[in-house]
Amino acid sequence: MPNTKKNKQQPHSRAMSKQDELLAEQTRYFLNINKKISKTEALKQFIWNPETKAFMGRTGSSWSKIGLFYLIFYGMLAAMVAICMWVFFQTLNPRIPKWQLERSIIGTNPGLGFRPLPRNSTESALIWFQGSNKKNYQPWVDSLLEFLDGYYFPSKIAKGSGQIKTCSYSDFPNEDEVCEVDVREWGRCNKDEFFDYHRSSPCIFLKLNRIYGWKPDYYLYDHELPPEMPKQLKDHIRSINNTQDRKNIWVSCEGEMPSDKEYIGSITYYPNNFQGFPGYYFPYLNKEGYLSPLVAVRFERPVPGIVINVECRAWAKNIKYSRMDRTGSVHFELLID
Amino acid sequence: MASKGQLNDEHGRSDSYRVATVPSSYDDHKTADGQPKARRKVTKKQRKAGDLDDLKQELDIDYHKITPEELYQRFQTHPENGLSHAKAKENLERDGPNALTPPKTTPEWVKFCKNLFGGFALLLWIGAILCFIAYGIQASTVEEPADDNLFLGIVLAAVVIVTGIFSYYQESKSSKIMESFKNMVPQFATVLREGEKLTLRAEDLVLGDVVEVKFGDRIPADIRIIESRGFKVDNSSLTGESEPQSRSPEFTHENPLETKNLAFFSTNAVEGTAKGVVISCGDNTVMGRIAGLASGLDTGETPIAKEIHHFIHLITGVAVFLGVTFFIIAFILGYHWLDAVIFLIGIIVANVPEGLLATVTVCLTLTAKRMASKNCLVKNLEAVETLGSTSTICSDKTGTLTQNRMTVAHMWFDNQIIEADTTEDQSGVQYDRTSPGFKALSRIATLCNRAEFKPGQESVPILKREVNGDASEAALLKCMELALGDVMSIRKKNKKICEVPFNSTNKYQVSIHENEDPNDPRHILVMKGAPERILERCSTIFICGKEKVLDEEMKEAFNNAYLELGGLGERVLGFCDMMLPSDKYPIGYKFNSDDPNFPLDGLRFVGLMSMIDPPRAAVPDAVAKCRSAGIKVIMVTGDHPITAKAIAKSVGIISEGNETVEDIAQRLNIPVSEVNPREAKAAVVHGSDLRDLAQDQLDEILRYHTEIVFARTSPQQKLIIVEGCQRMGAIVAVTGDGVNDSPALKKADIGVAMGIAGSDVSKQAADMILLDDNFASIVTGVEEGRLIFDNLKKSIAYTLTSNIPEISPFLAFILCDIPLPLGTVTILCIDLGTDMVPAISLAYEAPESDIMKRQPRDPYRDNLVNRRLISMAYGQIGMIQAAAGFFVYFVIMAENGFLPMKLFGIRKHWDSKAINDLSDSYGQEWTYKDRKTLEYTCHTAFFVSIVVVQWADLIICKTRRNSIVHQGMRNWALNFGIVFETALACFLSYTPGMDKGLRMFPLKFVWWLPAIPFMLSIFIYDEVRRFYLRRNPGGWLEQETYY
Repeated sequence: MPNTKKNKQQPHSRAMSKQDELLAEQTRYFLNINKKISKTEALKQFIWNPETKAFMGRTGSSWSKIGLFYLIFYGMLAAMVAICMWVFFQTLNPRIPKWQLERSIIGTNPGLGFRPLPRNSTESALIWFQGSNKKNYQPWVDSLLEFLDGYYFPSKIAKGSGQIKTCSYSDFPNEDEVCEVDVREWGRCNKDEFFDYHRSSPCIFLKLNRIYGWKPDYYLYDHELPPEMPKQLKDHIRSINNTQDRKNIWVSCEGEMPSDKEYIGSITYYPNNFQGFPGYYFPYLNKEGYLSPLVAVRFERPVPGIVINVECRAWAKNIKYSRMDRTGSVHFELLID
Repeated sequence: MASKGQLNDEHGRSDSYRVATVPSSYDDHKTADGQPKARRKVTKKQRKAGDLDDLKQELDIDYHKITPEELYQRFQTHPENGLSHAKAKENLERDGPNALTPPKTTPEWVKFCKNLFGGFALLLWIGAILCFIAYGIQASTVEEPADDNLFLGIVLAAVVIVTGIFSYYQESKSSKIMESFKNMVPQFATVLREGEKLTLRAEDLVLGDVVEVKFGDRIPADIRIIESRGFKVDNSSLTGESEPQSRSPEFTHENPLETKNLAFFSTNAVEGTAKGVVISCGDNTVMGRIAGLASGLDTGETPIAKEIHHFIHLITGVAVFLGVTFFIIAFILGYHWLDAVIFLIGIIVANVPEGLLATVTVCLTLTAKRMASKNCLVKNLEAVETLGSTSTICSDKTGTLTQNRMTVAHMWFDNQIIEADTTEDQSGVQYDRTSPGFKALSRIATLCNRAEFKPGQESVPILKREVNGDASEAALLKCMELALGDVMSIRKKNKKICEVPFNSTNKYQVSIHENEDPNDPRHILVMKGAPERILERCSTIFICGKEKVLDEEMKEAFNNAYLELGGLGERVLGFCDMMLPSDKYPIGYKFNSDDPNFPLDGLRFVGLMSMIDPPRAAVPDAVAKCRSAGIKVIMVTGDHPITAKAIAKSVGIISEGNETVEDIAQRLNIPVSEVNPREAKAAVVHGSDLRDLAQDQLDEILRYHTEIVFARTSPQQKLIIVEGCQRMGAIVAVTGDGVNDSPALKKADIGVAMGIAGSDVSKQAADMILLDDNFASIVTGVEEGRLIFDNLKKSIAYTLTSNIPEISPFLAFILCDIPLPLGTVTILCIDLGTDMVPAISLAYEAPESDIMKRQPRDPYRDNLVNRRLISMAYGQIGMIQAAAGFFVYFVIMAENGFLPMKLFGIRKHWDSKAINDLSDSYGQEWTYKDRKTLEYTCHTAFFVSIVVVQWADLIICKTRRNSIVHQGMRNWALNFGIVFETALACFLSYTPGMDKGLRMFPLKFVWWLPAIPFMLSIFIYDEVRRFYLRRNPGGWLEQETYY
């Protein structure tokens, strides 16, 4: 009987001693409150407590322990991320994107790009210069020169095995070949004439966005031409009799609004013989030395002093156009003082 | 014999009030007729400060001292005719109705606004306003402004409003439950006005009214008795004393609470009838002042509210700090200020766990419902948790620990002490009911007893029946009814011929009955009373069926028995009888009760019976459970120290083997003053001692004694004790049922009132109501409270973790110039969508094994959100989650063409609408729209990866120490939560049209996978961590990571 009693009491007494501990803890706190310290002093003490030699509430050894813990922890985490990344990169091909065309988010609907790009701001697409002021238009010319460097000196980028070839509608490039882009076909839009910026009739270069493996679906026949296609382009296409030579992605530029159409003046497209990108440049397969085909658009006499909104479109059966999303087209503004 | 003297001293029991009553000449701002003296002029602050003093000075009135004539004069009333109608009307208009002013309630719109603008809401409002400003500026400068900011602003505002309305709804729902308690049954009073007897509603009583009260009524106001017939009142709700006290027109004591000629509002008349003059009404009554004090007390915040505020401050601080830092960094990096503002919004949105407050409310509501089903009704939602953090319970004795029902506990006859059954369900000991000693004793107890059962209670168990009469007589009646059967028929058979009722000078009660045996013509004289007085009148003693001479040996035996029973804290009565010789007292003899013409000496002593208000059956177990949960249980009672100590010992508040200072002194046979008080773990403190104690002496008692009983305490002393405990840093729960407990109930961190026995005032002051009056429900409450605290912690740990993967994309966006990996809308989808159900489901999590074995939480160190929780959630798990998110982001970018190195520094071009041909690592050129589609796909994938890693986070948050193998996956709400968040993620990603609305894009299946290794590593890491915690309790890892 006394034995069981003792057993019964034991948890009690244990609980009591624990309670005493808690009580002692509370008492200590209670005593601490009594020595009320001001807020700034408390902050000072938090930053450096000379009594416990604690900095920010931790002593040196405490800091080093937690530091070591987190060092190891983050080290392990970094190692894990590195391993995951390494494993993941094994699944990638450095030359061929993993997902292509409709399986990739880039999709199958290329847009257009224009050069020169404004340098000072990435937000605007305004090409603004004074034709009479060399200092003013020179940055635009330099920008174009930089962009066209690869075109003027293709050997600079065509390292390794890639061979440059002069392609035609009947002569497509082989696997290790890329088609040449002939800078001589750009007429007055050449670097020696400062791309005509000094005459206030600037050349804008257009290019079709590269999409790996994308092949255009050409408008080969007159009846296929969409009704919204500008008359000028339609006429141009109709003037080409050979269907083989119609294997182009056509390009047209127009003022965006009716007023813009008025101010824009006449436009010349280079290369002269076909207003667009020849089909033999496609598909883009990320070959060494590949150069995107370019169309140089020369605005001969745009009205000065007024911002002209220009929209250029690319035309092929599988290029869908949307002004909102800027697919199949590009937008920029011209302002010539 | 000293204890005997104390026990039976009639005036002894009213000590509490004498003790508390500090006679003083303090001005109570009242004029002579009880009218407030220019109360309006007293400012609020002064009044508050004056409250305690107000209480301390008690009552300072003289209505009981003055002559009745002066009284009538003062109130312009008449004892026979009462007030005139005109005067009554005038008084009513001047003083207002005779009712307690209900406690002030916060206006509904203030409550609503608090919900709408409190906590994180303010931060989110700032975010929303910044959004509108940003949109406004964009709209005025750009032709086609992106409506992102407008949209986000609207969403943020909607979020705040919806969560605000939600919490307001929850709050009002719980307060509605309380409304039901306010609707008390209207009371009526019988009043004399202009000589007419009227029945009025008690509210319409005015000063000077002459009222008639009879037994069973509730006293309608404070009255001065002018006429009475055997009138007794039960003051227990006012003073905590269960014994009825007689009231008569005589002025007997200076103290208004002691004098016999005052009866107080809201106490009950138990016997007799009386007529009195109303001397104070409504809030000016004694009861009203106590209730007013209770409602005027500043209760402070609940611990959980403190914790949540602490948490909100912490999170807000972090959000503002990060926001401003990055705002400045963005400026330094040369961003446009509008961009910087947008970053600021993003960081605020990512930092604030928008859904958390709603989650907390839901968790508390769920627990409140669960507690209500276990008979704990919670008035204030936040009080749900308070009980869990309680470290001290101050419990009232009467009615809480005990049954509030005098019951016969022991009998002494045939020279032995017999234990009677005191349990509520009569499952206790049985005794021999056939011995001649018991028969004789039971005859006296049956016949010398004026108590009767109230009619119409045949179906009620005997012990629970209501009785008209004195508490000890009722106890005897019930005991006899149980032992003998129908008491009333026995009384009928032994017709009462003559009776001398109990009075304080005789200290006995005697009655003479006819004998039920028709062959025996002798009358029976039966007597009961204070044992020593009874013994004095006896010459013989009845032992084992034989009448023996009462010699010294028998007297010694009597004394021993009396001392033993007295020492148990029981009220002892002695019983004796005599068969009156038929020759001297033949049938038809005229007995005279006023001038006894029958023998009152030389009687036959039969035995003793002792009564106690026994503890409830479940209490000892509940006290033991509280103990093992580290909760100190203190008894605070108005009752006598010896009784209090006895009950404390029987329920385990003073545990076996623990001694008080007095016990030690007695054992060592040394004076009390020589005992080192630190040696005694237990203490019984008398109210009169308490009054003389300085504050630090009280602190010392509370600090050094683990088992404390406060006896003979007044309401204000209860308050002082509670404050003392709170000064010690304890979170105090107070249980009580009387009005006298209500200030302490209010002051306590959590006041627990009794639902059945409790007075309305105490219920109003309490935060929680035990519907079954069962102290054991408190243990359930403690467990539930601790559980909800643990579960809230887990829930917050879960919710906060996802903050890191939400903030880090913004930081990377600003610092590394990469396209934004996670947008603000997706962050809201996590905080208010996928994280909500799992976070709430953690409220259903079963307790871990140690919940009732560990100490109550330390309110200063063991915060809801502490450094360790932040370190775990932000520093460790959150980082793994962020790594998972970024990994998925880089995978998708790389698979679509942008290898990681290409992304750094690309942000400006990426976000430029003018650039329609951004080149990727494979030379492909991306239009603005395609880039953005890619970016939003990354947002979606980042979001999905957070969902995936949150699976593991949810599972590890189930336990803080145990292994998941031990805890199991039986929480079906949580399992549903996992399924729900996954389904919601799928829905958001794959539903057509989401690309337009929320800019969520469908993901390839393989893009769900990159997060999986991280999910597994979270799970494994934490399982290992907890394994180590269990292996090394108190170790470094526990100090740093056990939240």
